[in-house]
Amino acid sequence: MWKRLNALFRHGDLDRGLNAEVRFHIEMETEKNIRLGMSPEDARLKAHRSFGPMEKHKEETREARGIGWLETFVADLRYGARALFKHPGYTTLAVLTLGLGIGANTAIFSVINGVLLKPLPYEHGDRLVVLQQSAPLLGRTNTGIAIAEYFDYRERGRDVFDGVVEYHQMNFDLINRGDPDRVATGVVSASFFDVLGIKPVVGRTFAESDDLQGAEAVLILSHTYWQTKFGGDPNIVGQVFEMNDRPHRVIGVLPNVPHYPQENDVYMPVHACPFRSGAEANIARQRRVFSALNVFGRLKPGVTAEQAASAVGSICHNFSNDKQFAQAYRPATSGFQGTAIEVRDALTTGARDLLLILLGITGMILLIACANVANLTLARMLGRDRELAMRTALGAGRGRLVRQLLTESTLLAACGGVVGVVFAYGTIGMLTRFVGRFTSRTGEIEIDLIVLIFTLGVSVVTGVLFGTLPALGSRVDVVSALKQGGSQAGGSSGRKRMQGALIVAQVAVSVVLLVGAGLLLASFYRLQQVEAGYRTQGVLTAQVFGNFSKYPNNQPQLLIDVYTAMIERLQLQPGVIAAAITNAVPLAGGVPGTTRFDIEGRVTDDPERRPTTDTRIASPKYFEAIGVPVVGGRVFNDLDTRESQRVVVINKSMAKYWEGTDPVGSKISTDRGETWFTVVGVVGDVRQYGLAQETIAQLYLPLAQSPSTLAGRLLVRTQGDPLTFAGTLRAAVRALDSTMPVEGVETLDDLRSEALASPRLTATLLAVFAFLALLVTLAGIGGVIATSVQQRTKEFGLRMALGARRDSVLLMVLRQGLTLVLIGLAIGVVGALAAGRVLSSYLYQTAPRDPLIFAGVAALFILSGVIACLIPARRATTVDPLIALRAE
Amino acid sequence: MAKLDLLQGTLDLLILKTLALGAQHGWGISQRIQQISDNVLRVNQGSLYPALQRLDTAGWIESEWGASENNRQAKFYKLTKKGERQLKEETAQWERMTIAVQRILDVETT
Repeated sequence: MWKRLNALFRHGDLDRGLNAEVRFHIEMETEKNIRLGMSPEDARLKAHRSFGPMEKHKEETREARGIGWLETFVADLRYGARALFKHPGYTTLAVLTLGLGIGANTAIFSVINGVLLKPLPYEHGDRLVVLQQSAPLLGRTNTGIAIAEYFDYRERGRDVFDGVVEYHQMNFDLINRGDPDRVATGVVSASFFDVLGIKPVVGRTFAESDDLQGAEAVLILSHTYWQTKFGGDPNIVGQVFEMNDRPHRVIGVLPNVPHYPQENDVYMPVHACPFRSGAEANIARQRRVFSALNVFGRLKPGVTAEQAASAVGSICHNFSNDKQFAQAYRPATSGFQGTAIEVRDALTTGARDLLLILLGITGMILLIACANVANLTLARMLGRDRELAMRTALGAGRGRLVRQLLTESTLLAACGGVVGVVFAYGTIGMLTRFVGRFTSRTGEIEIDLIVLIFTLGVSVVTGVLFGTLPALGSRVDVVSALKQGGSQAGGSSGRKRMQGALIVAQVAVSVVLLVGAGLLLASFYRLQQVEAGYRTQGVLTAQVFGNFSKYPNNQPQLLIDVYTAMIERLQLQPGVIAAAITNAVPLAGGVPGTTRFDIEGRVTDDPERRPTTDTRIASPKYFEAIGVPVVGGRVFNDLDTRESQRVVVINKSMAKYWEGTDPVGSKISTDRGETWFTVVGVVGDVRQYGLAQETIAQLYLPLAQSPSTLAGRLLVRTQGDPLTFAGTLRAAVRALDSTMPVEGVETLDDLRSEALASPRLTATLLAVFAFLALLVTLAGIGGVIATSVQQRTKEFGLRMALGARRDSVLLMVLRQGLTLVLIGLAIGVVGALAAGRVLSSYLYQTAPRDPLIFAGVAALFILSGVIACLIPARRATTVDPLIALRAE
Repeated sequence: MAKLDLLQGTLDLLILKTLALGAQHGWGISQRIQQISDNVLRVNQGSLYPALQRLDTAGWIESEWGASENNRQAKFYKLTKKGERQLKEETAQWERMTIAVQRILDVETT
């Protein structure tokens, strides 16, 4: 074995040795022949002839030396590398094209791996399900789970779950050495971390005793928060911080794992949360409150997610059909139901389709890249026919040649793979942020071993894919190839047909991508043009939060008074046109509320026919600040106070319920007639919950009459650049309450732009891919025409010598290229018609079969196809007939 | 008398035997076999060098570059100890076989 390995590594020496040995043999034989009386010439010829096919013998000798295939592979590799270095243009182009294709796939796969494929990073990750309730008949896909419902699932789900826990997120102020620090807080059951299977790195997680009424308030810190705010202080356990005006003691730190469903800075048990425990106290009086919980269950060993789903469904069916609550759930008309979904799937539902579409797209890009490199290789093979024929003549077998070509293509693909990994490293951050808009599970995206193995696999498959086609066309006709001059050799019709087919395939795939990009861009354009019903220019907005203990919910007036003083103060600042406060600004997320209301004189007893509306709080200058037009009546003013008549302003969509009569002056009630509100004005519709969402009925309550406290959204319409007012805004807030945090200072323009970010990014991404595909394809067409023109130089010269006009020659070349484009176009259009459906959920007011887009793509392709053909085709017409004919 | 191509498997034996007479290079081996067999046996060059390589790999012969009779660089092969044993074994085998074949041929046909 040692000898064999030695031979492998020293094969250069040995090969030289073999050559020398053979040369010696032939010389000796020649001398012998001369001694026998032959002429030196004949002697040498006879010696050679008696030796037989030299290459074949060498080959056999090498094989006899052992490790034939490995040996051959290394030799092929060396030979391939040499061949590639000799053609740096071809090599660079091929490696870059492949690198792009492989890189795009690597990047997308690393995201798919991190988001869809990896198991959850918790010990019990594969047994975790999330419980979900929905009211499909009301169009509500996720209603959240109320405390009482959670109790039901926990008590009655013991057959399928060995743990059911709740989670919700709140934002609190943690006072860290005097400074308020706004922390995202996960409020969880005591057994939350045990059920998920998370062990603390320091201290302990919650125990049941931490979650009793009156227990000491305790905290667990996230790893990131511990590191960034406390520098990983090992003595953190036991330290006490003030939160919600209560001391909270740190009992542990979580390991560095991604948090689901949301990242949090700290965790507290439910009884430490003033809202959660406060709401629980109300259950006895008013069942089914605080539908804001996320509920997770851990499956008992051996129980499937489907079994859990059906168990949850039947528990939900039981309590929602219970006579006691039937009025609340109205299961017949709401379709209220419950189910359980694996957490892993639930976290990624929003991203799965998109990621698979992206994978499909990058797969297509890779196909185009493969086809292009295969075409390049085919074109290069024309020049190599002589070389291949020579090697065949010298005894190299056909399999041997194919193997050599495959080694070369795999080598290229491997280089492409390296470029691809670099490309993926460069783009993965951007891609992660993009995908983060559709799923929270982006914390585990990385280029790890699995991704690299994937890349390696793709590279090898790619190499074989684009290497096989040219290799199959390598059936070399030795005699004709050797007889003809190098540049004229080969060009068999089979190879030409293969080039044509590759171009057709590239065009078809590019057309599919271009149509997809076109559809998304058109949809994005229409979305951008949507009249949202308000004026975004020049408006600054910021979030303010009243400390819960300072402004208790049962005394909303305290907070309202501070808010009122705040906007009065802002209104007085120079440059401020209108200052207002509301509870939510348009396009800032959230889901529409569905308060049922009655119109005086039109009260219906059928609960199903009562219309619903979304409710907003608005200070007097709100409509001026945000630029919503008043359609009828008036908006709020300073005379609408706590003591005055209850008033509301409604939007046009809500006014439709008055069926043509003027709503101003009439009354509505949201509590079945206990309180009546007078409609004083009608304002324009605003797209509150998304530019693509149809407007819904909305009513506005004056701030002064707000029935509860609210997280406030300040709005300041200014002269000039609104962002320069950020300091003014903060100062105004601080002047009235120095501990009140101000967050999310941004302009309404930013918010609107943010709302368009996902469709913009999706469209841009696909457009970039499609454009690349187009470029690569056009380069391919140009290349094929160029080779074909080069091969037919003599023919063109002959034609022109016989009187053909230059433009008829040009036309001939064009026709050749355009035929391919048109066939590809036809196939691509059929493909795009079929593929358009997967995009339909990403399109706004754009049909997946929009004829304009299809026509545009077709025109673009024909036009650019003509140009791609014309450039090399012009060379055909500049052929001098004499030179062309002499070129032989 | 027409020249005979070597029987399958006998080339190794002949090479070993030739080398038992002294170190020799490839061409020399082929010449010697031809000479000793009175030009009856002809060594196909295409089989000679792979065979030499095979024997080298098996460790029965070893090679060394040296000057040929006309002072050119040539690769000389010589038998190893292992090769001598192998030669004995193969020779014995060959004799057994030829005797066996001879016996069959000697059976008189009636």
